[in-house]
Amino acid sequence: MNRPWRSDPHTLAGAYALDALAEADQISFERHLTGCEACRQETDGLREAAGRLAAATAVAPPPALRAAVLAEAARTRQSVPPAGRARRSPTDRRITMMLPPRLAVAVAGFAMLLALAVGALTVNTAHRLGLADARGNQIAAVLSAPDATMMRAHASDGATATVVMSHAEHTLVLTTAALPALPEGRAYEVWVMGAGWAHPAGLLPAPHNGMTAPIVVPALGAGDRIGLTVEPSSGSAHPTGPPVIMLNLPA
Amino acid sequence: MAWPGDRPARPRRPSDSITDLAALLAYVARGDEDAFATVYDRTSATVFGLVRRVLRDPAQSQEVTQEVMLDLWRTASRFDPGRATAMGWITMLAHRRAVDRVRSQQAAARREHGRPADGPDYDVVAEEVESHLDAERVRRCLDSLTELQRESVTLAYYSGYTYREVASLLGVAVGTVKTRMRDGLIRLRDCLGEQ
Ligand SMILES: [Zn+2]
Repeated sequence: MNRPWRSDPHTLAGAYALDALAEADQISFERHLTGCEACRQETDGLREAAGRLAAATAVAPPPALRAAVLAEAARTRQSVPPAGRARRSPTDRRITMMLPPRLAVAVAGFAMLLALAVGALTVNTAHRLGLADARGNQIAAVLSAPDATMMRAHASDGATATVVMSHAEHTLVLTTAALPALPEGRAYEVWVMGAGWAHPAGLLPAPHNGMTAPIVVPALGAGDRIGLTVEPSSGSAHPTGPPVIMLNLPA
Repeated sequence: MAWPGDRPARPRRPSDSITDLAALLAYVARGDEDAFATVYDRTSATVFGLVRRVLRDPAQSQEVTQEVMLDLWRTASRFDPGRATAMGWITMLAHRRAVDRVRSQQAAARREHGRPADGPDYDVVAEEVESHLDAERVRRCLDSLTELQRESVTLAYYSGYTYREVASLLGVAVGTVKTRMRDGLIRLRDCLGEQ
């Protein structure tokens, strides 16, 4: 990669493996990792070594914790398995837009949520939102969840991604507005991202009036990030370019 | 294997006889609660001990251990055996949770007091080391690092400091700490791999 870095990012592998990067450093290093196979392999190996340090501090937890954990797991829904695990192919950097993630959190009233959804919906999908299908049900469940929270990430050119998330449902609904149009054969792909991993969460549908119909992203964990990249319209197993928009979910 | 409690007896499942942690995680990913219980039994001391080491507060450590175990249950399908060992993945979940918690809570206190009272506490770590073989190896390998490597690595891993914080605690340049962390882990990795 030919980007001019303030300092050589490769040297951050050790600190990253020790979880010793502050959030801003961590985000930029993870961005670097998505395009640098050498660093990915090194951080995997160093993280493994760091993890061995935990052997020196092992202490059995109080026995009561076991029952509590097992009971809680029994009522906790699991993530769906990731769609693909093929190694990401090396870089395809057509998108140079690198945007500072900006997060505005607002607890939205139901009317606001509805406006958001309807605003981005086509007639067809609005019809589906009439709870006719599973996806409509999922969207309705998120929008009407008592803990539904709205977040918006802005790109500097005016594009936005709007998310309504329910922690209780571990699910969010994502819509976008004013994303730059893409050439034939390319599409925006949505990713759930964490420490050194990114799992595909679907392609954005073609926009209508500049807005994309809501898509549902299930199986989220606290602290996950949502990212958008430009990919071949058939989708990729791993991001092949830098994120166009990144959004940190609240922990 | 029979678990105490009110669960009715049922036929043995494949997961009952599986001892490989990575294979167990594959069952956990498919919702096998027995496999999850086995994974809990195999890893809870490592997770709880690490979390307690970073957080120091026993009550909070239980809370965070529970969060880690539920992360594990929920996201077992994300475990990629091509990139990490099962234990490596689980300790990563635990360490991240513990560090997130300690940073959000101690940010204010650290700003006020500068260098923390507990400081580099490698000696405490050494004391807590059990006679367990793995623990013994880790200690021996930590001893093989230079002092600056060891302090950089242990302050970050066991106390949850960022590399910038470690630099100011130790009074050395940020770039030096970055390098020592990397060198230290490489040496640790090589040392653990040899034994
Ligand atoms: Zn690199």
